[in-house]
Amino acid sequence: MTVQRAVGAPVARKDAFEKATGAAKYASDLFPDDFLWVAVLRSKYPHARILRIDTSKAQAHPNVVAVFTHKDVPVNRYGVFKKDRPVLCDDKVRYIGDPVALVAAETREDALEALKLIEVEYEPLPAVTDPLEAMKPDAPKVHEDGNICREVHLKFGDVEGAFARADVVVENTYRTGVQIHAYLETEAGISYMEDGKIVVVAGGQSPYRDRAEIAHALNLPPEMIRVVTPYVGGAFGGKDDITVQIHLALVTWKTGRPARLVWTREESMIAGTKRHPAVIRVKTAASRDGRILANKIEIVYDKGAYTALGPAVLDVAVENCNGPYRVEATQIDAYSVYTNNMVSSAFRGFGAPQVIFAIERQMDLVAKRLGMDPIELRLRNALRKGDRYVFGNVLQGSVGIAQCLEVARSHPLWRNRNSERVGEWPWLRRGIGVAAAMKGYTIGALPDKGVIALELLRDGKVLVKGSFTEIGQGVVQAVAQMAADLLGVTIEDVEVVFADTEVTPDTSVTSASRQVFLAGNALRKAVEALKERVAELEERLRGRRPADVQFSGGWVLVDSERRYTIGELARLLDSFGLGRQVTGVYDVPRVEPIPGTLEIPHLFYMFGVTLAEVVVNVLTGEVNVTKVVSIVDAGKVINPVTFTGQVEGAVAQGIGYALMEEAKIEGGYLLTRDLSTYLIPSSKDVPEIEVIPVETEEPEGPFGAKGIGEIGIISVAPAILNAVADTTGVEPNTIPLTHERLYWLLKEHGLVEELRSSGS
Amino acid sequence: MQHLADVEVHSARSLREALELLSTGKRFKVLAGGTDLIVQLRTGALPKTDLLDISRIDELRYIRFDDGVLRIGALTTFMEIYKSDLVRRYAPVLSEAAFTVGSFQIMNKGTIGGNIVNASPAADSLPPLYVLDAELVIVGPRGERVVGIRDFYRGYKRLDLREDELVAEIRIRPPGDGYIGHFFKHGLRRGDAIAVVNGAVLVDISRDGVVRDARIALGAVAPTVVRSPNAEHVLIGSRLTKEVMWRAAEAVLKDISPIDDIRGSAAYRRELSVNYVFMTLYRIAREAGVSA
Amino acid sequence: MKFPGYAKLREIRFYLNGKETAVEVPPAYTLLETLRYVLRLTGTKEGCARGDCGECTVLLDGVPVHACLTLMSQVEGRSVVTVEGIERDHRLIRAFVEEGAVQCGHCTPGIVVAAYHLLKEVPRPTEEVVREALRGNLCRCTGYVKIVRAVLKAAGE
Repeated sequence: MTVQRAVGAPVARKDAFEKATGAAKYASDLFPDDFLWVAVLRSKYPHARILRIDTSKAQAHPNVVAVFTHKDVPVNRYGVFKKDRPVLCDDKVRYIGDPVALVAAETREDALEALKLIEVEYEPLPAVTDPLEAMKPDAPKVHEDGNICREVHLKFGDVEGAFARADVVVENTYRTGVQIHAYLETEAGISYMEDGKIVVVAGGQSPYRDRAEIAHALNLPPEMIRVVTPYVGGAFGGKDDITVQIHLALVTWKTGRPARLVWTREESMIAGTKRHPAVIRVKTAASRDGRILANKIEIVYDKGAYTALGPAVLDVAVENCNGPYRVEATQIDAYSVYTNNMVSSAFRGFGAPQVIFAIERQMDLVAKRLGMDPIELRLRNALRKGDRYVFGNVLQGSVGIAQCLEVARSHPLWRNRNSERVGEWPWLRRGIGVAAAMKGYTIGALPDKGVIALELLRDGKVLVKGSFTEIGQGVVQAVAQMAADLLGVTIEDVEVVFADTEVTPDTSVTSASRQVFLAGNALRKAVEALKERVAELEERLRGRRPADVQFSGGWVLVDSERRYTIGELARLLDSFGLGRQVTGVYDVPRVEPIPGTLEIPHLFYMFGVTLAEVVVNVLTGEVNVTKVVSIVDAGKVINPVTFTGQVEGAVAQGIGYALMEEAKIEGGYLLTRDLSTYLIPSSKDVPEIEVIPVETEEPEGPFGAKGIGEIGIISVAPAILNAVADTTGVEPNTIPLTHERLYWLLKEHGLVEELRSSGS
Repeated sequence: MQHLADVEVHSARSLREALELLSTGKRFKVLAGGTDLIVQLRTGALPKTDLLDISRIDELRYIRFDDGVLRIGALTTFMEIYKSDLVRRYAPVLSEAAFTVGSFQIMNKGTIGGNIVNASPAADSLPPLYVLDAELVIVGPRGERVVGIRDFYRGYKRLDLREDELVAEIRIRPPGDGYIGHFFKHGLRRGDAIAVVNGAVLVDISRDGVVRDARIALGAVAPTVVRSPNAEHVLIGSRLTKEVMWRAAEAVLKDISPIDDIRGSAAYRRELSVNYVFMTLYRIAREAGVSA
Repeated sequence: MKFPGYAKLREIRFYLNGKETAVEVPPAYTLLETLRYVLRLTGTKEGCARGDCGECTVLLDGVPVHACLTLMSQVEGRSVVTVEGIERDHRLIRAFVEEGAVQCGHCTPGIVVAAYHLLKEVPRPTEEVVREALRGNLCRCTGYVKIVRAVLKAAGE
């Protein structure tokens, strides 16, 4: 029986102090001896053939050590799902951030000067920047085999019959825009040779996968490459794909010298991956008593120039587009379409925010048509544990959506929503909105496994080793707390070693809200392996295996008769040559994917509900979010402070996504290339956020915990837009709902005229 | 990004030294706070030139009130202006604007002189200066001259300022005690943002609600900041009713010529101009105790 | 730190975290570049290099400014305080740790410096004042909730 002392407690993060004092080192803070400054030359056009690259003048510039092009790359294509992305462009450039050449110089200034001296002759090609246009047969081809990266067509249940029976049919088109991660630390890293290996220390989300990509591109055995991921200054999926790693490894490999590459903010805005913009059409059949009979959904995701993680993102869209509801029938037609826009890939929510925005706006419209309370409609259809989801899969893990909706319904913000409609001034209106969300965590039907190593030290400390990356989410702290409780030691005696291919085993990728679940379960397995090791030791010592081994109160208890401290155990294991380190392997439970899909269904899902209070200025279109309540089906909360922190941060990103993060793009060129034109929420844009965990139990989760990293963002945008609709009567279906966009809707709806003509 | 490793910086410690350097005929960009200039140089928006750093000329940093005139040295920072009791008393609309020019970090470094000379039509200090009919004291080798703020701007970023001159002081003759004024600014988030439109409204209302004087200035809706004589004309002599407020607000359309840009369309700017003038007049009316 | 041949170097003397310091840098080098590349004081971060994010906040003559918008010629003879110059046992740092105000932590040093100054100026700020003072410091991880709480907690001590 594991006594929970650390798990569930609001223990202060171990890394907080060094981060707050500025002592913590991120990849961008590292300066190896005698390093070369690396700069990247990027494409001038969103789509063009490369006719000629002449680097001679750049190479001749003083202090330039090397200039590299595609000729220097052994295998010039990388990518997780499809190896279609050039390390350095050879035949074509396909989007404005596509890298064409690298300069490595002794000084920063000379690297920048040399970039200007590289001559590239382009033949501009017509650029296709609208995914719906890109789907047409005569559209310019981004890749040789056409612009459809992936398509999925699924049909479950009697869709036609449902629409025939329906009392109400609601049909609408929804649009969501690009979202830029805008982490405060841009993509950055260093590299150097050590002991015959290329060492890359860079911000990322999986050192093992980064290593595999580097090895593949340079045609080197992975053992020749070491990848370390230090503290990362934010990732949110934007550092899931390769960013600086292959470029750095190439420079060091070719020159033998250390190298440093830190993207400028502008580079980060353009060259890195983004959230897929989307067009989603939803047609819903409902019965008079509020049952959702069917959804016919058409999804088009703008993939941008390269595949990246797009195929999986489309899967997540398909899996979640019906929302957290029992829907009798569904038809889903989904497309991921290449364009000459910036590359779309992973961003917190990974394809769910777009479709949940659509279905949750749709649910409010259905409620309006039926004259039903929006929460009542949702509750009537809400999934419960044991239900079959639209794909036929039975939900056996924790399903907390109904509980979340009930908390929302009885929350004073919802109960009193009609109390005060008008603001302090006649042009202000107050509204309340609700939305629900779901998303699977882990990667569902795709195979996934993680390994954790436990090493006992002779001084009594325990090392926990895993390749999860600390991107701000607090996984290192969570692992330390779980290990402390599993081993019956204090947190101070646990040290976590993370994200180093040399030292930590492969705990899979830090994404999909999976690490607490995956690393936690692998840790449990490692603890079992440790018990087994103790049993072996006992057999050596006493000639027979014990019946029972427990870890408690700092002791290793054997058969309730003998006990050792961790330190004693470590020394004994050493003296018997049994080894002080064990590993635990956790294979994430999965089922076979539904034909035509990659990861559907998941066995584990996150659920949540957002309540948003807004005040709309009818004369400007400004939406001021004055309060947010985020209700999360949280499983067992490992650390309440990091849990609420994660949700609060996700809500803030959702507010930006809903209202102000407009990436202005014209013909494939990003116009908003800095943080004064691409606006993310500041301390004045994020209100008080109340986080309410609904603690269900995830039976398969370590200590009953489940993933929580992404769920906080997913229902924010629809909740906010539902609140706007609630108080103004307009029905906004595009995000970001910028001031101007809302203003024209309000004007069209007569609200401005109403104020202008109220003479008294 | 452009590097500035080869840029020469001449640091002047006194106004005289600065003027001497400016009259050598060498091309300089004058560096005051640097919050605009440094960004423009590093992004390549401005070509690289040598700099004349005047940021240490303490004699140009002051806020004084003598002989009925509020005098602000050109190198006074926006934070100093915001915190100044003198500005709050004699030119509160400028105090309001100073708080919105940017973050506290920007307010601590950006100077009013720099804002004036950078001459963005969206500069936040300008609409208050326009409704206060401020004057600029310009110094050069030929001595000192005084130019009214409205005459200083001849067109988009075209100033009545020669290469060997510096703006040294801003002079404001406070309007009478009965005036109520407010600055307004529309940003695309509640945190710091460049104005989509901004402006200032300054009104003198009699006890019985009749407008004796009205001054309205708008920024980011024309190549320079503009006053709106059409709106002012509607207000002066009228009672401040909602109907009059809307009529005056709509009259600003005759005095502005906004364009489409990254922050908004011309059409939206027209709507905002009208609506903000109305909202500001409404606020002022409420403060003045006038029942509309 | 290597400079190219065409760089114009000048010796700039200033006070850094209370100590007299001299560096030889181009006068148009920013204070941020000098801190990070020349002095290798990496507590002050570069998030945007144009005054939009607040990560490079330092105190110049006691007042918070962007190091990325401060040229070294403007620093001559003046005092600079970075996050490294703030007492490690300061109640603000303790509050940040205790309140969970640190996630990825990259924005934290800039906020600590800005808040440090705020508490000196306004010992008992309201929440609104804290949010105004920190509006120039962007954070992408926390949503500001615990940051504001930490500053108020430190103010209350």
